Amino acid sequence: MSREEEILRKLEEKFGEKIKGIRIQRSRRIFAEVNVEDLKDVLRYAKDELGFDHISTITGEDLGEALGLIYHIAYENSIELSIKTRIPKNNPKIVTIIDLYPPAGIYEREVHDLLGVIFDGNPDLSPLLLPDNWPKDVYPLRKDVSLEEMRALIEKGGGEK
Amino acid sequence: MMNISSLLKWARRKSPWIIHFNTGGCNGCDIELLAALTPKYDVERFGILLKGSPRHADILAVTGPVTNQTKDRLLRIYEQMPEPKYVIAIGTCAVSGAPFWDCYNVIGGVDKLFPVDVYVPGCPPRPEAIIQGFAKLFKKMEEEER
Amino acid sequence: MSGSTIRVIIGPQHPALKEPERFILETEGEYVVDVKVRIGYIHRGIEKAMENRTYLQGLYLSERVCGICSDAHTTCYVQGVEELLGVEPPPRSRFIRVVVAELERIHSHLLWLGVAAHEIGFDTLFMYVWRDREVVMDLLELVSGNRVNYATNTIGGVRRDLNDERIQKIVKGLKILEERTKEYLKMIEKEQTVLKRTTNVGILSKSDAIKYGAVGPTTRASGVKRDVRADDPYAAYDEIPFNVIVEDGCDCLARIMVRGKEVLESINIIREALKRMPSGEIRVRVKPRIPPAEALSRVEAPRGELLYYIRSNGTDKPERCKIRTPTLANIPALCKMLVGGYIADVPIVLAGIDPCFACMDRVLIVDREKKRADVWTLDMLRRYGREWYQRH
Repeated sequence: MSREEEILRKLEEKFGEKIKGIRIQRSRRIFAEVNVEDLKDVLRYAKDELGFDHISTITGEDLGEALGLIYHIAYENSIELSIKTRIPKNNPKIVTIIDLYPPAGIYEREVHDLLGVIFDGNPDLSPLLLPDNWPKDVYPLRKDVSLEEMRALIEKGGGEK
Repeated sequence: MMNISSLLKWARRKSPWIIHFNTGGCNGCDIELLAALTPKYDVERFGILLKGSPRHADILAVTGPVTNQTKDRLLRIYEQMPEPKYVIAIGTCAVSGAPFWDCYNVIGGVDKLFPVDVYVPGCPPRPEAIIQGFAKLFKKMEEEER
Repeated sequence: MSGSTIRVIIGPQHPALKEPERFILETEGEYVVDVKVRIGYIHRGIEKAMENRTYLQGLYLSERVCGICSDAHTTCYVQGVEELLGVEPPPRSRFIRVVVAELERIHSHLLWLGVAAHEIGFDTLFMYVWRDREVVMDLLELVSGNRVNYATNTIGGVRRDLNDERIQKIVKGLKILEERTKEYLKMIEKEQTVLKRTTNVGILSKSDAIKYGAVGPTTRASGVKRDVRADDPYAAYDEIPFNVIVEDGCDCLARIMVRGKEVLESINIIREALKRMPSGEIRVRVKPRIPPAEALSRVEAPRGELLYYIRSNGTDKPERCKIRTPTLANIPALCKMLVGGYIADVPIVLAGIDPCFACMDRVLIVDREKKRADVWTLDMLRRYGREWYQRH
């Protein structure tokens, strides 16, 4: 059994149906999906029991009604396990994982900036990338805001203090 | 055609001070500008010095596209420079912002804020092209001096 | 890049501060006690723009995320798109990708070495290294047609081939680079100014390097043997024998040594790649529309782990293109290194992670005891550092 298959088997054994879908895309690439309430348990297990000690990044995306989050964690810098979950767009909250992976703080800030996700428990969600004069409640990576709209907003209010 | 040696003489006498500002580019132009200052290209023989303060600068060299967050500072640097002042836009981003035309934080080229005297296109322009840009600028400065 | 200091009294707002400073350092006496980061200075909005462009147009944008490691970006990007397509680039193209990537690593590390020398005030070394770096710039231009932004990668392979003449010139150039780099490393190991300013400075323990997610030479200088080329091989790296360079010093000196030795190792990798280069095509044609799929692509950029997550949606434009640069990954570790250290060490510790921001030319220094915030330029910090070390 390959290492990837072993990891997949252990996750399925431990979490059963809480792992909503899991597949090995190719060598060293595993994709899985979980409900938001199970996310942290799965991450904790992957880190503490399976040796996934590095977080590569957190990807946020606009899926329409929901916002998607993908936690990309690495085992021995080699196998990447991408764990997906979703949260409702009208209540985009999720628990922070900085207690598991300290560097996640900076990735959570980025997702907060660009998609408006609130990470409960992260003490610093101050803007990482967007400037001070960026219009409030405009999240650039959401699909419902276009480039033209953002440019118009910036031209109106941008650059002034 | 420019007479390079008379330009060099003029430049050495005049010794223009340049302030460089990167508005948010990828650094490609910055490293070619810096390369222009190092031994192989040796722009210091022109008497060019990179300085930190706009209040003493003759020339503002801009690399990178003008972004939302650097617009104010770029303007302020320009305003702090004494007359006569000159602007050289180095790289396609400073010229027009083109590579990042659809990026929401990018406003465009430098001339969206104030007039540019010399445009050096390229992504990035090679050190030789940057030096030629400066040479053209010196020619312009020399002519306006007369 | 103003040379003057702006003094303000701290209040709930900072009225005189017009731009978000990238680094806010809280200090007590001569020590840094806290670090806050904002890096929006160069935020252009690239990920959103990627959704607006075809995959091929996106390639040109990915190349310009960073002009110093542009090849790492395009390699990471095209590999991701190739995975979405289920396409394998031809073997010869994978070896050519290695050659260009390692030439870029050499240029980037030498560039850094010059800049780091400048940080310590060792301007002669800066000038020598940048002079010699021109050798690798010439090789990059020979191989690609351009000194910066080589545009050798395309989706499905590479755009330009290597012929015997070019290979001969590469071999010659590498020999010169190897001699010079060995000399610089010897010089650095003996130079007292360098040793004083870098030994035991910016300590990042091995466990902290892992805990704070450090990548690249920064983590390898703390004894962590991780390198995407070896651990998660791509291009032709699994067919070329090479060493992962690790140092145990955990300090700025170790970071210099790792990068210096990586230059020598890159020279060897290129030699091996040229020796083993298979013949054949250099690209396969690909379709513009990509059925729904996803891919996570990783490369070892000169600064460390770079990754792209791309999703396709059946059209000729991606649904999502996420880019995580190595410099961002090193920021938590950087903060750990700065806290508890001297203000005088800030420029060299920052330089130690080889930051990819446009230029961190200003920091806000917040003095807790004096309840004062000053904006310092990086030049001022450097001067402060040099003078401080002359006194101590």
